[in-house]
Amino acid sequence: MSLAHDPFGPADHIEVEVLIIGSGAGGAPTAALLAEAGFEVLIVEEGAWVDQGAVKPFSLEQMARQYRSGGVTVALGRPAVPYTEGQCAGGGTEVNSGLYKRPPHEVLEAWRADYRIADLDLDEIDTISDEVERDLSVSTVPGPTTEASRALARGAEALGWRNGEIPRWMAYPERGDALSGRRQSMTVTYLPRAVRAGARLATEVRVDRLEIVDGTARAALVTRSGGRSGRISFRHVFVCGGAIQTPALLQRSGLRRHIGASLAVHPTVKLAAKFRDEVNVDDDVPVHQVTEFFPYSSFGGSASQAGLVALALNDNWRAFSRQIIDWRRMSVYYAAIRSEGRGRVVAVPGLRDPVVTYRLTRNDRALLGASLGRLALAMLAAGAEEVFPSFRDAPIVRRAADVARLESGFRADRASVMTVHLCSTVPLGEDPNRCGADSHGRIHGTTNVRVNDASLLPTAPGVNPQATVMAIAIRNARRFIEETPVG
Amino acid sequence: MPTGSAHRLVAPYADALLARDLPALDPTRRAETVDFVALRVSTLPTPMLVGVSIVAWAFDLLLRLGSRRTFISLSTRVPIPFVSEYPRLIRSLAFAYVWERWPDTRPDGGRAPVVP
Amino acid sequence: MADTHARRSAPPATVITGATGWFGRALVERLLADGRPALRTLVRSPEEGEALGARGVEVVSGDITDRRDVARLFDGLPEGADVVHGAGIIHPRVVADFTRVNAQGTRYMVDVARDAGVRRFVHVSSNSPFGTNPVNGETFRNHEPYHPYLGYGTSKMQGELAVLAGVEAGLDAVIVRPPWFYGPFQPERQSTFFTLVRTGRFPMFAGGTQRRSMVYVDNLVQGVLLAELTEGIAGRGYWIADTRPYEVREIVDTVRRALTDEGYEVSGRPRSLPIAIARAAETADRLLQRVGRYQQQLHVLGEMGHTIACDISVARAELGYEPGVELYEGMRRSIRWCREQGISL
Repeated sequence: MSLAHDPFGPADHIEVEVLIIGSGAGGAPTAALLAEAGFEVLIVEEGAWVDQGAVKPFSLEQMARQYRSGGVTVALGRPAVPYTEGQCAGGGTEVNSGLYKRPPHEVLEAWRADYRIADLDLDEIDTISDEVERDLSVSTVPGPTTEASRALARGAEALGWRNGEIPRWMAYPERGDALSGRRQSMTVTYLPRAVRAGARLATEVRVDRLEIVDGTARAALVTRSGGRSGRISFRHVFVCGGAIQTPALLQRSGLRRHIGASLAVHPTVKLAAKFRDEVNVDDDVPVHQVTEFFPYSSFGGSASQAGLVALALNDNWRAFSRQIIDWRRMSVYYAAIRSEGRGRVVAVPGLRDPVVTYRLTRNDRALLGASLGRLALAMLAAGAEEVFPSFRDAPIVRRAADVARLESGFRADRASVMTVHLCSTVPLGEDPNRCGADSHGRIHGTTNVRVNDASLLPTAPGVNPQATVMAIAIRNARRFIEETPVG
Repeated sequence: MPTGSAHRLVAPYADALLARDLPALDPTRRAETVDFVALRVSTLPTPMLVGVSIVAWAFDLLLRLGSRRTFISLSTRVPIPFVSEYPRLIRSLAFAYVWERWPDTRPDGGRAPVVP
Repeated sequence: MADTHARRSAPPATVITGATGWFGRALVERLLADGRPALRTLVRSPEEGEALGARGVEVVSGDITDRRDVARLFDGLPEGADVVHGAGIIHPRVVADFTRVNAQGTRYMVDVARDAGVRRFVHVSSNSPFGTNPVNGETFRNHEPYHPYLGYGTSKMQGELAVLAGVEAGLDAVIVRPPWFYGPFQPERQSTFFTLVRTGRFPMFAGGTQRRSMVYVDNLVQGVLLAELTEGIAGRGYWIADTRPYEVREIVDTVRRALTDEGYEVSGRPRSLPIAIARAAETADRLLQRVGRYQQQLHVLGEMGHTIACDISVARAELGYEPGVELYEGMRRSIRWCREQGISL
């Protein structure tokens, strides 16, 4: 049931105390906390409200209704790196895997040291994570996980590699099983909480730019559904549009310093594994991950409905096409790496969307190949009959000797390298040479423009980032509440 | 980009590519798939759309000028970095659609045999 | 999984190949010191075998690339003998030697050993089938994808595959994978290494932060003997190395310190060269090998730009392997041995 209302009515100009742009993993908790603290909050979201369960997960319909540009967004480079952005109330949290990983201490410590982040207290982050885990009902699957998930664990065990079931934000009914969970995304948790505390939510409103005078932002110029313009004056603004839209909006508004120049992602390669029995689950993802190679790489399972299996086989369709008949016996697995490379987000005047680029380094490419080889070994050890790596001219892998051919034939330029995690375009901290925002997310050189989403994370954390995004956002929101008088 | 113009731009090449890649795919299904591809192209982010439009226009021209079969065959083997993304894009969109919509489609695009 | 410390007793006979090589000599010394009975080895010429023969080792003259010679090696062996197959070529004259010796030779050994009903076959492999680590900081685990580094790596990979095929056919075989080794009995090229380090001319790239696992020869002997005598590990492969990998600059500094402490004069200053040089050497090496030629210095130079590091925790856990000698001590012993042999550094 949509919680959105049109805040404009017949007017074209409205005034609010706090404007929050974006309703995802950063924006929704920010809205809830601020509203509960007594601030008058309006959230504007570019996408529409779609109820959890209204659309089949990982389907093309979901891509059309809950992703930006139908899910077809690409960072240019060699190779080009497709990525995905949620565009709907709740943002990425509505469509992602739901896997929850607490911010790793070693990552936080490295950030704090490297980027000179003030007041980053690991105990505070842990306490916030405890809260988030309660609020999102983070839990493991009751009963056995899916066969596709267990296969990955089995393979890792056989090779002596650390692995585990990753909990997700899911609510399970009393005698539920692996497929019965209800996603505890923002539309089900923090957005209703924000609205209950008095926040308002407007959907299908796009912020074109912010009006900033002498470092103080005064208003947002927006386009509403139907194409009408609008103007929202505010006292404070939180930009929470995600690592691509946030820097694009800031650049369109004249803020450029250390904004958009350091995009970090988790480049990912994949393969399809075929088993003797039917393992395909077409609307869920495996929950097991191989963590042996942290922080360099991690392996997990992807959504595997027939269309996605066809995509996985597509890179070497000539040799692999026959396999699609057996899609029910197949599941897609991925290897994601921590990348040395970085990318850029550049808003181009006159173009609605920014140009996004990404560059893989030599080591990134080597690590992608080695990781895909290791993943292939794990799937063989799990009992897969055949493994189909997703790159042009990839060999069919049936035994260890074939993995050598995978390794020698792999080139990142020939593979489908993609990412679902995007971070670091407005790094937080006090390092004047790298940080676009201060230690709590306020854009350097402004009085009231704050960012509170994945853009702040100084590097891609090497784990699913949502938990980290939420913990940092809540920390920052609390600081804002402490130091800002209401009304 | 309005769907109509995306369709005009993209449909001929996409249709020819699919006819080659999935020769047994029903014309009706192929048309539906091409419609989907065009729809997705029309919602591409603007910078991508600019690039794709140029390549699509060039491909469409070459398709009409030369031998269809040769061109389609060559177009999928073009080593030029940005240009080769176009056939890949068309293919990915089309294959994702075909197999999500009709999961038991055979590798050549044909319908699955009816199981008694 | 093995009961990690269940040990077999010494076999009635032990076949050793590569006994005249670096590792082989160290192994034979240890077995003789342990009082191992009935050692038998294959050497290419009677002269090479003389010293061994004088110590009571049975010497069979022949070439590992000749199946009949390999058959003669196993002729009349008592039941329950063990085999340590350490023969191999690392720096050949021509690239084709790699395949003949490392791949084909191993295949013959595996086939004949299986037919002869040996108790345990230990195959001495290398890091080369696995290539180099993609990122400095990563280490090779016990199961890794094959990614051979050029000709040597491919041939050693084929050797491993032959051994694993033997396991499937019923041979009780174990693979030991040593990285860069050092210690007494070293060949001439290692003396060049010492000289270069001593005079500050050893090529280090990009600050020498690449990490290299190394294994002191006595540690390797220990590892091989554990792989030979531990129950229930057929088909498994183990990294046998010193406790931890060393940074290249640490290796250079430590060796210089060891040389000084052994009374040698060190000169020059180790300096770091641009990584582009190592990459160019690697490319040149690759091109040469493709046309069947092999240039040792070029190969070593190309490899120096890489990290090759392995994790010994499984060897520790399953074999009870405990490296006893570390880099500084091991290098001092090497240097002393060179002095005793009259090798100038």
